[in-house]
Amino acid sequence: MADTVADVHQHEAHGHGDHHHDQSWLEKYVFSTDHKIIGMQYMFTGMFMAVIGGYMAYVFRMQLAFPGISVPGFGQVSPGEYNALITNHGTIMIFWVAMPVLIAAFGNFLIPLMIGADDMVFPRINRLSFQIFFLSSIVLLVSLFVEGGGFGGAWTSYPPLSANGDYNQTQLGASLWLIAVALEFVAFLLGGINFITTLMNSRAPGMKAYDIPLVCWMIVIASILFMLSVGPLLAGAVMLLFDQTLGTGFYDPARGGDPILWQHLFWFFGHPEVYVVLLPAIGITVEVMATFARKKIFGYKMVLYTAVATGVLSFFVWAHHQFIAGIDPRMANVFTITTLLISVPIAEMLFVMIATLYGGSIRLTTPMLWALAFMAEFLIGGVTGIFLGASGADIYFHDTYFVLAHFHYTFFPIAIIGSFCAFTYWFPKMFGKMMNDTLGKIHFWGTVIPFNFIFIPLFVLGMGGQHRRIYNFQHFPQIAGPEYFQLREIATIALLVMLAFQLVFFYNIIMSWMRGEKAGKNPWKANTLEWTTESPAPHGNWPVDELPTVYRGPYEYGHPDREEDYWPQNLPG
Amino acid sequence: MAHARPIATTRSATGIPTPRLAIWWIVASEVVIFGGLLGVYLMHRIGHPEWAEAASHTQTWLGAINTFVLLTSSFTAVLAHQAAEKGKGKEAAKLLGFTILGAMMFLMIKSYEWYGEIAAGYTITANTFWSFYYTAAGLHALHVIAGAIIMGFIAVDAYRGRELHRVEIIGIYWHFVDVVWIFLFPLLYIAK
Amino acid sequence: MSENNDGHDDGHHVNYRGIYIALLILFLISVAGPEIGERMGLPWLTLVTAFGIAIVKARLVINNFMHLAWEKRIMKWVLATSVILMFLMVAGVSPDVMNHEGNNWENLAAKEAVQRGLAEAAGYSNEEGEAAEEAEVVVAAGFSAATSYGQICATCHGAEGAGDGIAGAGLDPAPANFTDLAFWNDPIRTDNVRERVLTVIRDGGPAIGASALMAPWGALYTDDQLEEMVDFVLSFRPNP
Repeated sequence: MADTVADVHQHEAHGHGDHHHDQSWLEKYVFSTDHKIIGMQYMFTGMFMAVIGGYMAYVFRMQLAFPGISVPGFGQVSPGEYNALITNHGTIMIFWVAMPVLIAAFGNFLIPLMIGADDMVFPRINRLSFQIFFLSSIVLLVSLFVEGGGFGGAWTSYPPLSANGDYNQTQLGASLWLIAVALEFVAFLLGGINFITTLMNSRAPGMKAYDIPLVCWMIVIASILFMLSVGPLLAGAVMLLFDQTLGTGFYDPARGGDPILWQHLFWFFGHPEVYVVLLPAIGITVEVMATFARKKIFGYKMVLYTAVATGVLSFFVWAHHQFIAGIDPRMANVFTITTLLISVPIAEMLFVMIATLYGGSIRLTTPMLWALAFMAEFLIGGVTGIFLGASGADIYFHDTYFVLAHFHYTFFPIAIIGSFCAFTYWFPKMFGKMMNDTLGKIHFWGTVIPFNFIFIPLFVLGMGGQHRRIYNFQHFPQIAGPEYFQLREIATIALLVMLAFQLVFFYNIIMSWMRGEKAGKNPWKANTLEWTTESPAPHGNWPVDELPTVYRGPYEYGHPDREEDYWPQNLPG
Repeated sequence: MAHARPIATTRSATGIPTPRLAIWWIVASEVVIFGGLLGVYLMHRIGHPEWAEAASHTQTWLGAINTFVLLTSSFTAVLAHQAAEKGKGKEAAKLLGFTILGAMMFLMIKSYEWYGEIAAGYTITANTFWSFYYTAAGLHALHVIAGAIIMGFIAVDAYRGRELHRVEIIGIYWHFVDVVWIFLFPLLYIAK
Repeated sequence: MSENNDGHDDGHHVNYRGIYIALLILFLISVAGPEIGERMGLPWLTLVTAFGIAIVKARLVINNFMHLAWEKRIMKWVLATSVILMFLMVAGVSPDVMNHEGNNWENLAAKEAVQRGLAEAAGYSNEEGEAAEEAEVVVAAGFSAATSYGQICATCHGAEGAGDGIAGAGLDPAPANFTDLAFWNDPIRTDNVRERVLTVIRDGGPAIGASALMAPWGALYTDDQLEEMVDFVLSFRPNP
């Protein structure tokens, strides 16, 4: 196992720098322990899964807007296939796109670079984490093609539907789905512990707690949230697996179990999970805003404390997903209050962003556009959440497209806009080339405008009483009128437009990678440590005797005593 | 040193060595896994007084012997840590060997116990009490197996005088497995 | 590597042998206490000796064997947080799972499972009767086949049994239309119709090879009630 970083350092230090060229392609890119390569592996696996998830959305949106047509590239959608498509669209987009890209990919790529370390503290556990994740993606994809088809019990997988093969008719698909999700959790537990220990222990000399860039804080807080919330669900998943395969009765009330229990265990994890992906996205946005507003973040500590407060509060809100599930009505009051409370810290973070922008010299580059879009779109998602958090209103809205639109107005900014923001911002560091700004902006507008055209009609449909999880609306005369179908068609066509514009993005990546102009060390004139090394950074990040030392916080832009408007963290004096 | 490590590994901004820091986080994540399962079991148990009948068929004496075995193996694990701290790799390896022996005894007694129960018709599907019994004890047994295997590797290294700090790390994990059993024993066997 | 030594804030010279002996003594008490408690009918003694001592033992192991007592404060906080979260989870979940009734809800299936279990247990000790009767009472209270049909079956099969219930509109295959003669002439239910209908209501559609979208309802009703339901469904059957 001669592929660890210090080996390379030692060889270089002793003038045997050529030794590491012996690494074969496989060792360097597939079985690498380099945190940047592992980050890329997560990123590209996530992108690949995003394409599959997007394809699924395309198929079932076509079925919903034009029921019964033969969807180009898929064929006719049967009810069972429809259920499998929506279930796996949700599962993939959350567990195989948002989590790996926002936390695992950027966490891996950014944390060691931003805290001035040469790698993660456990590079081989890091590699194992990706390998388990990769295995879980394969298991999930396989589950779509087994006998009976993919699991169709929704991404929340409520029993008894998910627990009994007689009900869901996808005995094998359901079990494989569950195993894939459990494996994925194990991968992120390993990765998360690595992030936490790396940030706690391996910071560059001189880097104090408040000198850590916010995005690193956010990813680590998110990892802690994930780690503390996922345990009961892992135990619950084992129980559900036994219900499915051995025929136990953990979730069967007639045999002494309780189906509501799964909902509690799922959402005890599931709600913190929302903040697990939200916090890194906020961290990324804040980072990008400070750089392109050329201004110190307004209230670094406030963002950090509110993130912690959000994390704590997020453990007290889970049952707002179950207001009409038959939970104890007395609990509903408690959870309404906590749910409305949690909007306070999030609003505070948005105000910090606005205050950061105020009076800054803003440069509207592609990453900055994404960051601003995140703010605007997430705001709509957050505000509509207030309706759903109040148990009285939720009784009407529950399980309608209003919920669905609200959910996508939060998750799309988080998972898609946040990821694009980070990807375009750190692309120069990842590949050493600048991304084409014009193509980037075309892609930006081509994504954000259709996004609103997809989901605003769905808000209206939801208010009109359109239930989720319905395969063909023609069966329901009350919501099958032409005015309803026109709204559905608008949403579907907007989706087609948005998907088409993603081609621009992929074209842009490939062209910029091959022909883009060289980026240099610090193209954005930013302060944080990752911009002090080569682009792309070598294995080991910095030459071993040049590992940075930190002298100040990460956001010292426009300091009055300096001629330059930025002040890198590693400059003495 | 067999494998050179990244410089990141040798830094310690918190003052806690990185491996120990990591094992504490792993223990915290295990606390919520077992805590979730045991919490769920507890509320079902209180809500279902009829399980007392099923619980009266567990074999308390075998559970008690297993508690004794695990406590003793924890004791040898901490003695191994003490030996490793003094740099006595061979003694640490020997004591870890005793701990692994304890783990094997635990698993053998467990298999004997389960064999008897399954033969008597108390299978995992017999009743939800038994489902919890096998799931909780099985999850714990998996941790015992994993711990024993890892301990084997560490004992071999320790015998050659290498990576002695790992003796403490596996010890912390092992004591945690012991603590889980300390709670499982009264929950599953004693409370009738 | 230097971390072998520098991290150890040494100086915790624990008397491991002493701790071990203390653990063994506590262990003996935790086994003996409940035995005595059971014989003398003192449930609190069982609770204190079983769980109180488990906490003391765990504390001894965590503090002295795992050396948490000498660890930095932050790790104590982390572990305490994870334990506190579990109490939070139990507090939030137990009102639903542990209780079987609240202000305006009750979990009939769970109550029935408890009664049935108690009746069985009583059966082992030859005290059957009482609990079993109670179980009957819980379920039988206010049962009427027509009401149950309206609450459960009609959502798919329609109030008049024509298979036109709201929730059934999107199902494929469509819910059975009891007013359609073709349904009753289907080969899977021609002979012994009564038995077949009962099986489907009790065990779900797949039990006779019909659609699995018909769920089993046997857990909700007693055998007599199921018979009444069958009568009610058969009343939709048109005369040939």
